[in-house]
Parts: sequence; C-alpha cells; structure tokens
Amino acid sequence: MKRQGSVRWGVLLWAVVASTVTWAAPPASAVSTGAPDEGGNPRVETELRVDVSQVKPGDTFRVGVHFRMDPGWYIYWKNPGDSGLSTEVSWDTPGVTVGELRWPFPSTYRTPDGFIVTHGYKEEVILFAEARASEQATGSLTLSAAVDALVCEQRCIPAEMLLSRSLPVGTETVRDAESTAAFDAAQSRVPLMPEAAGLTMALALDSEKLKTGQPFTGTLTVSASDGKLLSSVEPDFFVPERIRGIKAMGLTLEAPGRFRLQGEAAPNAPKEDPRLKGVLRLGSAQTGFQAVEVNLPLAPVEVVPVAMKPPPAMAPIAASAAAPQVQAVAPAGAASDVSLGMALLFAFLGGAILNLMPCVFPVLALKAYGFTRMAQEDRGRVGIHALGYTGGIIGSMLLLAGVVLAVRAGGHSVGWGFQFQEPLFVAAICAVLVAFALNLFGVFHVGTDGTALAGKVDSSKGVVRSVGEGVLAVVLATPCSAPMMGTAVGFAFASGTGTVLAIFTALGLGLALPFCALVMVPGLAKRLPKPGVWMERAKQLLGFALLGTAAWLVWVMGGLAGVDGMGRVLAFLVAVALGAWLYGLAQAAAGTRRLVGVVGALAVLGTTGGFTLRFDGAAPTERASTVSSAQPWDEAAVAAALKAGQPVFIDFTADWCLTCKFNERTVLAREDVRAAFTRHQVAFFVADWTRRDAVITAKLGEHGRAGVPMYLVISPTAPDRPEVLPELLTADTVIQAVRRAAGPDSDAT
Amino acid sequence: MKRILTALALTAALGVAVPAIAADTAEVGKPAPAFTLKDETGKEHSLAQYQGKVVVLEWTNPECPYVRRHYQAKTMQNTLKGFDAKKVVWLAVDSTSHNTPDKSASWKKEQGFPYSVLQDPGGKVGKAYGAKTTPHMYIIDEKGVLRYAGAIDDDPRGKSATPVNHVKTAVDAVLSGQPVPEATTDPYGCSVKYKS
Repeated sequence: MKRQGSVRWGVLLWAVVASTVTWAAPPASAVSTGAPDEGGNPRVETELRVDVSQVKPGDTFRVGVHFRMDPGWYIYWKNPGDSGLSTEVSWDTPGVTVGELRWPFPSTYRTPDGFIVTHGYKEEVILFAEARASEQATGSLTLSAAVDALVCEQRCIPAEMLLSRSLPVGTETVRDAESTAAFDAAQSRVPLMPEAAGLTMALALDSEKLKTGQPFTGTLTVSASDGKLLSSVEPDFFVPERIRGIKAMGLTLEAPGRFRLQGEAAPNAPKEDPRLKGVLRLGSAQTGFQAVEVNLPLAPVEVVPVAMKPPPAMAPIAASAAAPQVQAVAPAGAASDVSLGMALLFAFLGGAILNLMPCVFPVLALKAYGFTRMAQEDRGRVGIHALGYTGGIIGSMLLLAGVVLAVRAGGHSVGWGFQFQEPLFVAAICAVLVAFALNLFGVFHVGTDGTALAGKVDSSKGVVRSVGEGVLAVVLATPCSAPMMGTAVGFAFASGTGTVLAIFTALGLGLALPFCALVMVPGLAKRLPKPGVWMERAKQLLGFALLGTAAWLVWVMGGLAGVDGMGRVLAFLVAVALGAWLYGLAQAAAGTRRLVGVVGALAVLGTTGGFTLRFDGAAPTERASTVSSAQPWDEAAVAAALKAGQPVFIDFTADWCLTCKFNERTVLAREDVRAAFTRHQVAFFVADWTRRDAVITAKLGEHGRAGVPMYLVISPTAPDRPEVLPELLTADTVIQAVRRAAGPDSDAT
Repeated sequence: MKRILTALALTAALGVAVPAIAADTAEVGKPAPAFTLKDETGKEHSLAQYQGKVVVLEWTNPECPYVRRHYQAKTMQNTLKGFDAKKVVWLAVDSTSHNTPDKSASWKKEQGFPYSVLQDPGGKVGKAYGAKTTPHMYIIDEKGVLRYAGAIDDDPRGKSATPVNHVKTAVDAVLSGQPVPEATTDPYGCSVKYKS
C-alpha cells in the first residue's frame, strides 16, 4: 500500500524534479553518478538498463537501475532498518507499463555495538521491474527513472539522479545477452512467493492476541512440497519489513524448517491484524540459497492499558501455600503482573518450602546427620559450616541462573529443571549419588580424613563438604517445584538479567535458611543424643536413601533415552561402584600398589564411561499414563474438545518432576477425581516435558511459569480464560475446578 | 542439547559473569530515563530540573545531511518559535563519538539557534533513549513521562510541500492535556555515530 502511494507521489514529483533539472543539469543519460563526498568524488554510479536491444509492441522485458557503490558504501533496502532511507525509483515511461520494483535479498549491517541495524546493498545491485511495451508503440520508446537514494558508509550522502534512455521498437524483440545475464543474476536473488518456490509456510502464534507493549512468541514452519528443504541458514536469514505496531521481531532456527518467532508489540500498536512480513533466505553458501517472501497473519492486537492495576489474583496463591486446599485461581498471564518484591518474597518462601519436598529430602537428612555431628563443635565452626552450605546453595543457584541466561541469549528458551532433560546430566548425577552412597557405606573415604566418622573432621575439609552438600541440594531440588516457586521462577524467566539473578539468590537463601536457623538456635545442640555407634548406622541408612534417589533417576533415564539408555546408565553405575571400591582399596594400601589402585579406578571409569554414556534422545519410550483416558496435549485437539462443549484439563508434567508424579498418583488417579472427570466429560490432556519441547516451554511461559507441574482447567464457555491450579493439588481443588469449568447446570446429572 | 552443554561450560568458565542488559530504556507512556549532561558551555542540565515543563529532546549531528537540511529550512527553530517559551524547553543532544563542545558552539553560532547542545559523546543517554537517527525527537511531559518518540515530520525525503510536523502536533496535544495522536513514528536520517 505504502509503496504504491510513494510511486504515485514519485510520478507527481517527477514533473517538479524534471523541470528543475532541465536547466540545472545536462540532459539525463542512461548513466549518472551521485552522492559526491567533500572532495567531489561520487560514491555511487547508476545506470538505467533493459534486457533487450529492441522490443516488439506488446512484449515484456525487464527494466532496472544498476547501482555500483564505492567499496564500503551501501544503499538501503525497502525497509532501511533503524536508520537510513529506502531507495526509491520512480518511473516515467510513456508507452510502457512498469510493474512493481523487485528487491534482491538484502544484507544486514550492524554497528559494532549492535545498537543500529540496517538492511541494504553494498558493491552493486540491480533494482528492476517487469515492463510491457504498449501494443501501439512505434518508433522509439523513452524510458526515464528518478532515483532517490541515501548512500552511507560512516557518513551518509543523499543521491538524486535522473536516468533516461531510448529503446527502439521493432517487429521482433531482441534480447541483449549481457544485460539478460545481469538481470538473471539479480532475479535469482529476488525472494519468490512461497508457491512459486514449492514451499508451504505456516505460522502458529503461542497466544491468540498480541498484547500492546508485551512480547509474543510463535513458531514458523516451512516445508517443501518435494520434501527437499534446505535445512541450514546463514546469519541474518530473515529480514522483516516495517510492520505497524510491531516494535521488534526476529526468527531463530530451531530445527530444519522450524523457526522460533520472538517479537514485541509496540505499546501504542493500533488495534488491527498485523502480518508477519519480510523475506526469508534458506540455505548456505555451500548449498546455494533460496529466498522466499513471508506474508502471514500474526494475531489481532489487544490493547492493554499502560497503567493497569495488578489484578488481585496473587493473594489467593499466597494463601494456597499455607492451606493448599484453598482454591488458587490465577487468570492466564497473571504472573506478568507480579511485582519484583512480591516475586522475591515468593522465591524466598518457595525455596524454604522446597526443603520439605521429596527431592531435597535425602540431602536434608544428610544435613541433619551432619548437624548432630557438628553440634559437638564450637559455635564458630558451626557458623562456618552453615555459611559454607549457604554459599554452596547460592553459588549453584547463580550458576543455574547464568546458564539460563546464556541459553536464553543463544535464542533458546529453557525452563526450571531443564537440566534433567539432558541424559548426560542425569547420568552424572546418578554417578555422584552412587559414589556418595558408597562413601557413606565406608567403601572409600574422601580425602585423607579416615577418622571423620568419629567426628574429628578436619575443619577445611568439612567446610568443603558443606559447600558440596549445598550444591547437591540445589541439583536435586530442581526437579521439584514447590508452591509459590512457580510464580517466582516464571517471573524471573521472563525478566532481565538482574531480576533473574536476584530471584535465584532469594530462592537459594530460602532453601538454605531453615537449616542455618536450626544450627544457630542456641541450646539445641544439648538436646541431641550423644554421638556413638548409632551415628555410623544412621549414616549407612542414609546411603540407601541416596541409592533410592539414584533408582528414581535411572527411571527418569528410561523416559529420556529408552530401555537402552537405562541399561547403559546402570552399566556405568556398576563401573562407578567398581571404581570406588578400587579407590578404597588403594586408600588402604601404600606405595605403588596404592598408585595402581587409583589408576585402575580411573581406567575402569574412563573406559566404561566411553562405552556406555551414549544416549539416543529419539529412542521410543512407552509409558502408561496414570490417567487411562489421557491423550497427548495438542492445541488443535484441545480446541476441538472445547468446541464440543467439553471442559479441558491439561497436565503439564515430566518424569523427573517428583511433584508432578506425586500429584498424579495421589490426586489425579483417585477414585473420586476420576469420577468427577467422567461425570463432567472432561477431556484430559498430558503435556509431557520430560524431553525438551519448545511448544510446551512456550505454553508454560504464557501462564507465567518456567517449569512443571502446571495444571490448566479450561471451560468451554470461557476458552480464553483458563484456570491455573496450584502446584500441589488436592482432590478437592481439582473437583471444584472441573465443576466450575463444566458450568452450573452440569451438576444435575 | 549441545548448545546447553556449551552454554554450561561457558558459564562455568566465566563464573557467572553474564553481561548486564540495560533495563533503563525509554518507552512511550513510561517515565523518561533521567540524565544529567553538560552543554557546549559546560553548564549541567538534568531532566529533573525541568520538571513542570514539556521537554523536547532533539538528537542531532551537524555533519548529517538530514540535520543540515532541517536547519537550512529552519524546521527546528520555527517549531520552537510556535511554542510558549514558559512551558516548553528544547534541548539538542549530540551523541556523536567524535563531537566536541567547541564544534557544537560554533555550529550554534553559525545557525543562530537559542537552545543548548548537550554533550553525550559516550552515547549513554542516547542509548538509554534508544536514539537511532539524527534527527530523532523525544517529548517528555510536565510529569517526566515520555509522550512521543520518532521523526520530526512525515517527510523523510524533504520533498513534500506541506509536511506534517509530528513534534508540533505532539507538544500541542501534551500542553492541552490530550493524548498524542501518533505517539511513535519511524525516525529517519543518518544513524547516530555512537562510540563503539
């Protein structure tokens, strides 16, 4: 639209410019220079070209302006980007109809700090159009073009040029070989319409509306009708046009033919239906390129008032922590209205509650054991241990935050507990747990403190151990999600760097605090039983708790990498145990035998690890759902169920998420809950996040969450307002929510 | 997956030193980023001291042909003349890395405009406002809220006989307590030559 306007306007202008130029400049020729610098040296040369030397009336040909820039200088694409000015070519061609200007795929230029991004052409380019000579054309045609360009390097120099040439009319159209080759080269770089390129494109936004001033995400899929899709891309493969109401937009490649769309609607975006418009270039310099036009509807803009009061949705969530049976109703997207202070408080409390979750429990038990041991030490030492433990927790929380930020900076999105989606990580944690258990059994000792059991812990070693326990607590805590934590972490994952770090620190402090408080209470130590043989037994018993945790992780591995993966990790764990045993023998020995033992232990670990630690992330995993009628989550199926008038329950879960499993076994599988589902004809969907899944991650983000569990109940009467249930379910919460979703009259049946 | 591992290794190597992203960026409808800058005479100007007045910020660079065109046409001077001097403050800001106060002073003398040219050679304020081009215009209301960001007018090519002056429209709207009809427009011109 805009372009047509500018062309018409350009023609109008033409008269003005032409009349001024006739006396100011020599008559226009087919070649002209422009943008002279201070020294009068022109930085751009233009030539009006056609791909024929003679044209027959009624025939088509190509007419274009060939730009040649000095090295380093460039002109702009139709969307110049952050600065600059689009290049404009206005035609004056009596007896010839000229079509729309064709733009070869542009380059993207960035200032060294990346602050200003522009699109254009360096060296040379032909901007051209299809033209048709009139049936009545006779003699010679005069083709003229007014060029208005901005030529930039560090500086910018405007260039206005008038070009004109004649084209003889004859009985036959005669192609000019040299020009035809030049036009063909330019045309090969012009993006095709998807149909012409044999491609189909689809855009799925993660939300139904674009909210003003807020980011949005989606997935663009490209498939080739012949199945031969160029799978790679080179940097700057997508260049967007200027789209009214869209502040920023970009695509990242996720998988061959699948792109992640991330953008932000302008705060004052007009209430209309913007489209994703731009050019996309598949392929690389090796495979060759295929450029294609993108023009797909985004989603209608929904105007969100800027000074919106936070809805009072947070209060019930806070209450749910104290009494989980209280209904917690949070409308979709409510989390984005949480204030930073509130999120920090939630993070802190969530961290504290995490101590009571099954994941952290083994570490906590260990810590309690260590506490009784430490209680014998003087208070100063106890304080150092508490500090070490806190430091270990906060340090690893910050590391986790750093990883989250780094991954996010790489254009990917992750969620809470994402590291359990990586088989190697799960294998490593299993190994640590088994080694730790064997250490507790006394198979080997850490360092030289063979007498640690008696409580005579070398001070520095003990502190290192406390730090290590802090790290382990965090590592094991991540598959659990405690009440309130979901809101806080969801808030963090959608915020800036500072906020992410602050929230993870608060979470760490919350996790560390109860233990520290316990240690610091004076007089408590005196109430503990005296150390003795019982402590040795207790320690060994805790070793079994760790083995139990390892068993659970092996099961998680089954979900990640199939039965083969489970087998491999078990084989590796045997090697770990053998290595630990050899190491223990070495510790008891002396001299060369000791060395042989250590080397042997390492050799066993190294070779077995190399053989076993290969996991197939695509291995089939069949697992019966807790809920028999469950179907895998799919937006289309959800929409269909809602259309049929069925309430929808979506269970966002993962094998490694203990809170999820706990909810599924103790609540969702219960008789009365099942009965309520049947009575209200609930469509039950399971979104399994055990493995990485960008669509599920995005859906979680949409509701302000960064991890599982998340439970959505959607009513067919209000499909755009799903209810988010609390992280810890009770049968009552679920039954009530389902009843509300089904509507008032459904109870009669 | 490989990416996560790389990121993990990278983060471990760097400690947790992830570069901070400036959260303090200008957004229409929100409080404008605060600043204190010296002008070409060395006098300090802060946004806070102009509270109660409408502030017009003009990103400028006398070397840019677009800026020169507007000064030749006296676009800025004439726009300012149309406002009540008691209610509106106009400040030019130069974020060009190689600009000096002397250059600004001699340009001001040559062009004969009355307002100060704030010196931002480090580009900190320019980037906080997201200034991309010269000219790039910002209007801040009496309460310090950013109300307009964008071009001076609707005529990037300087060929319209009757260009619509966006700054005039926006300042008049702010002064009469009305919403700004077009609160953001696409700025045009040379890129701001930031230090990098």
